[in-house]
Amino acid sequence: MTDKITVALTGNPNVGKTSIFNAITGSKQHVGNWPGVTVERKIGKRVHNDIEMEIVDLPGTYSLTAYSLDEIIARDFIIEEKPDIVVQVIDATNLERNMYLTTQLMELGVKLIIALNMTDLALAKGDSIDSEKMQEFLEVPVISTIGSKGNGIEGLLDAVADELHKTRVTENIFTYDSDIETRGEELEKVLNNDPYFAHYPSRWFSMKLLEGDENILKKAKESESYPEIEKILNELDADSFEAKIADQRYKTIQTMLRQVCDINTEHLSGSDMVDRVVTNKALGIPIFLSLMWAAFEITFTFATPFMNIIDIFFGWFAETATNLITIPWLSSLVGEGMIAGVGSVLIFLPNILLLFFMLSLMEDSGYMARAAFIMDKIMSKIGLHGKSFIPLVMGFGCNVPAIMATRTIEDTRDRLITILITPFMSCGARLPVYVLLAGAFFGRDAGVVIFSLYALGILVAIVSAKLMRSTILRGEDAPFIMELPSYKIPTLKGSFIHMWERGKIYLKKAGSIILIGVVGVWLLASIPAPGSGGVFASEEVYGTTNSVIGVIGQIIEPLVAPLGFDWRIAVALLFGVVAKEIVVGSMGVLYGAGENEDTLSDILAAGAMTPLAGLGLMVFTLLYAPCFACIGVIKRETGSWKWTLFQLAYGTTLAWTFAFAVYQIGSRIGMLA
Amino acid sequence: MKNNYGNKEVAFSALAGVLYALFGLVHIIEGLGIDTGLSGMLFIPGDILGGFCLVVIGAVFLIGFKEMLQGLNAGVSFVYVGILMSLIFMAVYLLIMGGNLLDSFIVPDDYEGWSVMETFRPGIYLGLLSLAGILYWRDRFSLNEVLVFREGA
Repeated sequence: MTDKITVALTGNPNVGKTSIFNAITGSKQHVGNWPGVTVERKIGKRVHNDIEMEIVDLPGTYSLTAYSLDEIIARDFIIEEKPDIVVQVIDATNLERNMYLTTQLMELGVKLIIALNMTDLALAKGDSIDSEKMQEFLEVPVISTIGSKGNGIEGLLDAVADELHKTRVTENIFTYDSDIETRGEELEKVLNNDPYFAHYPSRWFSMKLLEGDENILKKAKESESYPEIEKILNELDADSFEAKIADQRYKTIQTMLRQVCDINTEHLSGSDMVDRVVTNKALGIPIFLSLMWAAFEITFTFATPFMNIIDIFFGWFAETATNLITIPWLSSLVGEGMIAGVGSVLIFLPNILLLFFMLSLMEDSGYMARAAFIMDKIMSKIGLHGKSFIPLVMGFGCNVPAIMATRTIEDTRDRLITILITPFMSCGARLPVYVLLAGAFFGRDAGVVIFSLYALGILVAIVSAKLMRSTILRGEDAPFIMELPSYKIPTLKGSFIHMWERGKIYLKKAGSIILIGVVGVWLLASIPAPGSGGVFASEEVYGTTNSVIGVIGQIIEPLVAPLGFDWRIAVALLFGVVAKEIVVGSMGVLYGAGENEDTLSDILAAGAMTPLAGLGLMVFTLLYAPCFACIGVIKRETGSWKWTLFQLAYGTTLAWTFAFAVYQIGSRIGMLA
Repeated sequence: MKNNYGNKEVAFSALAGVLYALFGLVHIIEGLGIDTGLSGMLFIPGDILGGFCLVVIGAVFLIGFKEMLQGLNAGVSFVYVGILMSLIFMAVYLLIMGGNLLDSFIVPDDYEGWSVMETFRPGIYLGLLSLAGILYWRDRFSLNEVLVFREGA
């Protein structure tokens, strides 16, 4: 008969847990979300020695103290769901920090197995670890693995099967100082006498109470014996107990490590040497800025020939389609609407892919974590956490994955502020608007204008964060705790996969929402306005005030007239909320430019818009309401319509104010006249 | 304690540091509109941000030089990282050059009278120095899964 068991896979972030999960389960995986939250839940299956194992990949955590959502999820799963076996994946190159979690898991009294992962890297560093001695010391199985190569996986599964029917008690393996032990025992007595706590390991629960774990305190408050617990806790200094407990756990770990391994401390490792330079007080930020400059230079300069190839292809495609289709309205729909609209978006695919590729290289090499570290000081000055930096940089590619990346930020206020300011980071979808308008009005200075827009976005994000932190989202700064993984040479394949995973969102948008959007704009531009007496898609109607879109544009025109925008821009901006890429496509339709982008640029430069209004339009596009996909992800990640609507209103108000200032002040002082 | 670097590393960091910092400064000065007279001869057009990057690389080498002079073993880290950074920037400039060359074939009208040497930058020829460095000290760089710098002068 086959046994069915649940195996929980836990460990610190970046210890190779996913590699081990993939090596165990292969393709038999199911990815979903943990109930009620947006943290990914991965479950896989594997049959080994007639045992059907359900492997649950828990979120990466540094401890079982409820500092973050990930930690609460991991802890609740282990306590409430009671998996048959818990496998903790440990990074062999960083034993001391990883084993802090081990001490907490052992106190929980779970059936624990340690997968000592990345042993090859530890060996390369010159470390030697005696896993058998470690096993003897901890009294739990310790299996050496190299998850990325699948080494040691069978041994790990054998250990799971062996451990299933063994009885182990590990709760009391760590002994604390007498004052902690005394208080712990007092609490344990209270807990053991109250059936409410029967579900929890009493030693672990009492230690958590002594540590001042808020989540555990909340649970205790619901019990009848809370007054007794409160009495004990009131007699001690919670902060000093928390520090003492942590200190003694680390002392125990250090004592054990001295006996089981020989860490090479004689020479600096490669990662240490690189860190010495890239996290240097004076050089850290200049090096980061230099690397970002290189990434943007490649993104915008190296992409040019590929953009021209796409441009030429779509020009040819639109012309061929227009020539082949003899029905005038259909020819206009296909040539000027669909092909030109999608082409005007796809032309920027090389930029987007290259930017994502550069960011993937930085992430995969391990450098991005250092960038967050070196930026923490600056970020904290503006009221944010160093970890907020990575989502903000990712926002230059696309705001949607950037907002999702804020999940790594533990502090809810920091996370909320980061979500609210990420849309100010100029995403790739806004680039077509800048390239078109800066090219049309600023010639050789176009690059400087575009760079200034990126800088303005960053500045607005900084000021907004500071403002929110000091008003509506006040709170204390969270400490910077972040894994700094060993540097790795990023593989071309890995970076291409990451680039593609993010880039395909852009491509999918071009083939779906943007196509629908531009066809929608074309249709509204072709349908005659009621009472105008025009003919569908005729020259008298198409893109004029005689069309439905013209009527809509004229209704909203007064709102944007003080910014120097006419009804066409009003409509383009309105449709731009569907997807920012549609702004250029809509302008092409409404200014009668058709498939050739140069023509639209020429039309604008010839007087259809003033340079000042063009500058204001770029600023407005940078700051106003984000696209539908982004609005959706803000709602999902904040779980609140209030904050979602706040972002839309705040961004649009800022956009209007800035564009108004550019146009009105610029006009009065004769700027760009 | 035996040093993990020798005179060659010290000399290399001094030479590379001075060259990168100087050429970077010329880039910046030219970018500010001041004619140094070196622009044509050394392929250094005005470029404030590009110049800043070269100055940063130069600073990395020079800090390494300073630390090694002080007898700090870890100073050699700056030499190795400086070499890696200069090679990254060499690759960036070569890609830009290649991109422009490719573009000149795709849209020849936009490149009338253009020569590929217009995109030749000091970041490319200074990178040759680092290329020589990485070849000379190749046994200290391991391009396996993890970046490893081995010790030994």
